[in-house]
Amino acid sequence: MHIPDNFLSTPVWAALDGVSIAAIGLTIRRAGRELPDTRIPLLGVMGAFVFAAQMINFPVGPGTSGHLVGGALLACALGPAPAVLVMTTILATQAFVFQDGGVLALGANVFNMAVLGVLAGYLPFRLIGATRRGLAIFSGGFLSVLASGSLALSELLISGVRMPRPLIITSLGFFAVNALIEGAITVSVIQALDKLNPGFVQKPAAARSRVLAALGAAGLALGVAGFLIASSAPDAIQNLGQTLGISEKSGFQTPMANYTAGNFESAWLRRATAGLTGLLLIWAVCAAGARMIARRRSA
Amino acid sequence: MHHVLIDHWSQGSSPLHARDPRAKILVLLIFLIVLATTPANAFVTLVIDIAVLTSGVLLAGLPPVGLFLRAAAILPFSLTFALITWLAGDLWRAVGLVEKSYLSTAAVLLLVGTTPLTRLLGALEALGVPRVLVLLAQFLYRYLFVISEQAQHLRLAAACRGGSAGPPRSRLQAAAGAIAVLFARSYYRAEGIHRAMLARGFGGRLSLLNPLRFGARDAAFTATIGLLLVLARVQ
Repeated sequence: MHIPDNFLSTPVWAALDGVSIAAIGLTIRRAGRELPDTRIPLLGVMGAFVFAAQMINFPVGPGTSGHLVGGALLACALGPAPAVLVMTTILATQAFVFQDGGVLALGANVFNMAVLGVLAGYLPFRLIGATRRGLAIFSGGFLSVLASGSLALSELLISGVRMPRPLIITSLGFFAVNALIEGAITVSVIQALDKLNPGFVQKPAAARSRVLAALGAAGLALGVAGFLIASSAPDAIQNLGQTLGISEKSGFQTPMANYTAGNFESAWLRRATAGLTGLLLIWAVCAAGARMIARRRSA
Repeated sequence: MHHVLIDHWSQGSSPLHARDPRAKILVLLIFLIVLATTPANAFVTLVIDIAVLTSGVLLAGLPPVGLFLRAAAILPFSLTFALITWLAGDLWRAVGLVEKSYLSTAAVLLLVGTTPLTRLLGALEALGVPRVLVLLAQFLYRYLFVISEQAQHLRLAAACRGGSAGPPRSRLQAAAGAIAVLFARSYYRAEGIHRAMLARGFGGRLSLLNPLRFGARDAAFTATIGLLLVLARVQ
């Protein structure tokens, strides 16, 4: 999900760099208020921890394994604003030192994974963490990966990268599976952490900041909308990019595919409904899965 | 390992190593932006970009084969995407994806291969990156290898105890337990680090042993290469 340089069109990466710089600036200001300097070594070491934790493989199904991404885990353990900063540092280190993700595309990657990924991961914890902790943490992990993945995909499409529909649906399915894995890993790690020391994971506080909740909700909505639109009408995203003039037109290419507005609209509606049903189904499976895990753990 | 090699590269003493890291960062940004806005079929521009990059690598005394092979790590990903866009009928975007993402990666490698990370971070702070992020990155990089080694020990220990056998559920729990232990150790280590740093007079800022100096040569370097790249783009 780390977008390299030159995959996105210039207006897309430039805009996302701007958005991310603003978002990180705001986050630092917010974190500066509630975060003493003494926590900075802790946050740095936690960044190193996430790197290292990604080396530990989780068995998922026969022959495959996944690893922790960490956005939701950090958000629950450190709080959302510090988690955004730690994830940003991780992504910057990956871009510069490990050439994982581009430097110009860093803004896009930070936006997808550090800003919206963490906020989407934290939102369920904030909203229902006090009453349904397991479910909240599971959906946090799930949403954070799903939102990051579908945003990355939407940004590629809006940049004018042409992908055949089956491929888009396959990659969204792939993101959904990864998101389920992240949810399961996050829940099991946090339950193990609780056993070690209940103080490690934050108690979901009563709503203090509306702004954060609103931002998180917006991010969530964006992520889900991205997922829906990308799965139901990738052409709509590409057309949006072309109408706004931000999709990159390469060498010798005819920019517009031939659409007729009429059949497009009804087809869009149909596909959107299908996408929504699929999403609801996934949600139901997640909720059931999280409950099962949480119940067995507490038993 | 990968990072150790780059650290080793960055300790060299070529004219490129000696340039102020801010100059190198600016030139890298110009290079990347010029490249990002270059059409895939503008061969003259691309050839000039490649020439600038290659002469940089040679001037820095880095092993060219090693560097260009390392940059090839991006290729599996960009080739896959190129194949998709090509099949979708967009040949030039496919070509551009591969050549431009490869060149960008090589350029970033040239920067980190000629600049020790502490100086790179110092330069980023001087260029306006918030102090918190720079400090975080310093701690992250310093403890990355320490904690990775712990993770490897945990993995090895789990394998010795037969952790890779058993039903998936218990393996999942074992892996989660390992991560939780790693988390706890990192947490306590961070507390210890902080106390030790306070005892040594840490005041919220890590300073460089040799302060950065942006001299006339650095200005000339930035101006020449920057201008060359821009001219190559607009010719």
